[in-house]
Amino acid sequence: MQHMDHDRLVFLALGESEADNEERAYLAGCEHCRSELENLRRVADLSAEGQGLHDLPDPPDHLWQGIVAEIRAAERLPTLVEPRRPVTAPDTFADPPARVLSPPARKRARWSGWMTTVATAAAAAILGVVGTAVVLGGTEPEPAPPQQQTVRASASLAAFGETPPEVNGAARVFDNGQLHLHVVNLPDVSGYYEVWLIDPETMEMFSVGVLGGDTDALLPLPPNADLERYSVVDISAEGYDNNTAHSGDSLVRGTLTS
Amino acid sequence: MGVTVRHAPQKATRPVTAAAPQEPPGPPEDDLAARFRSGDEAALREAYDRFGRAVLHLAISTLSNRSDAEDVTQATFVAAWLGRETFDPTKGSLIGWLLGIGRRKVIDRLRASAREARVVETVRQHPDPTPTRSDPDNVVDRLVVADELARLPGEQRRMLELAFFDDLTHHQIATMTGVPLGTVKSHIRRGMQCLKRRWEVDGATHGPRPAGLPGAR
Repeated sequence: MQHMDHDRLVFLALGESEADNEERAYLAGCEHCRSELENLRRVADLSAEGQGLHDLPDPPDHLWQGIVAEIRAAERLPTLVEPRRPVTAPDTFADPPARVLSPPARKRARWSGWMTTVATAAAAAILGVVGTAVVLGGTEPEPAPPQQQTVRASASLAAFGETPPEVNGAARVFDNGQLHLHVVNLPDVSGYYEVWLIDPETMEMFSVGVLGGDTDALLPLPPNADLERYSVVDISAEGYDNNTAHSGDSLVRGTLTS
Repeated sequence: MGVTVRHAPQKATRPVTAAAPQEPPGPPEDDLAARFRSGDEAALREAYDRFGRAVLHLAISTLSNRSDAEDVTQATFVAAWLGRETFDPTKGSLIGWLLGIGRRKVIDRLRASAREARVVETVRQHPDPTPTRSDPDNVVDRLVVADELARLPGEQRRMLELAFFDDLTHHQIATMTGVPLGTVKSHIRRGMQCLKRRWEVDGATHGPRPAGLPGAR
């Protein structure tokens, strides 16, 4: 059977005329034309509903400032893409490959003055939270007391289970027993994030602490923690449910290697 | 309804997104997408100028709380920038991709507040406990289709707008514009095809995106 004239389908979709009996009988029997008509109808409805959408209000200024600040903060922090080699402060971070997201300094000039100010202030605030013990390295190489931190083990963290793939990050353990986590795009959860070290053989685990809202966190590990055995870093979504065990809802995981 | 509908045909519909109203369709968006993907910061600003209000609109019309909506918008652009390498221009447009990220974040937020609402029975912050918010998928679809409509060649777009917004028939459009009926028909048919194709590529209820809220599809 020949399909219906496409112009006619468009007419029907736009509601310009009604299908007559013959057409109705035909459509009932032809899946192809019926679904084409349905799709055209849907598109026509969506179009009509979208009438006001060409004149949407501009977002408030602070939104852009927030975006810039958050991105700048993310870029300022070490992204831990190459955490294997011993990281020494602070000169290493003047070295571009260690900070993958950081644009060259001259690129930064593209942002207007106030944006840079906002970004720097926010980055500085976050640096404050993370603490100077981490080898963040300011833009000025001279004064910072050279905190030498060697990375004992590191892991890249990947989305686990149904977590969207853009959730990822990295973990590294410093010689001084601190665990540094960097995670981006964690989904909103109603409770909180908890960090675990897991023995992959037995699935025994212990909790290292909770993660706040920042992309970076520094958590102390028990001094005698056996990282060979508890080699999997896991971040889970936990509820305020009076249950201290792992919820089973892992968001990201990675295996520490030294 | 007569044919003397005042439609102000001179006032071009601007892309849902573009900053400048009269811009010819797409100062090559492919180029913007490519620059965005390669990490050009100017492209981030440009993408925000063009698509920021669409993403914010998605969040505002689906979430009950304005500050949540702004958070989601901010998080969408930050996530897009940090994850820009995962954007595949061959699979859809930049705005479609951004709206897809925004849509997931909206859904996450809706789920989180649904859980909260279950735990905390008392509704404190929301003066209206059952606000009727739009379905994220529908909002994305409307934005995508409106964006495509704004990108169509001038005459095609105008005919479709007369049909959609002013409810004119082909005949009425032909009479009103002085364009031959056959041309009106072919403009409308082609325009509808473009809208449909775009919706199939970038829309939320069509295409390869994972299902969101149960029943959202």
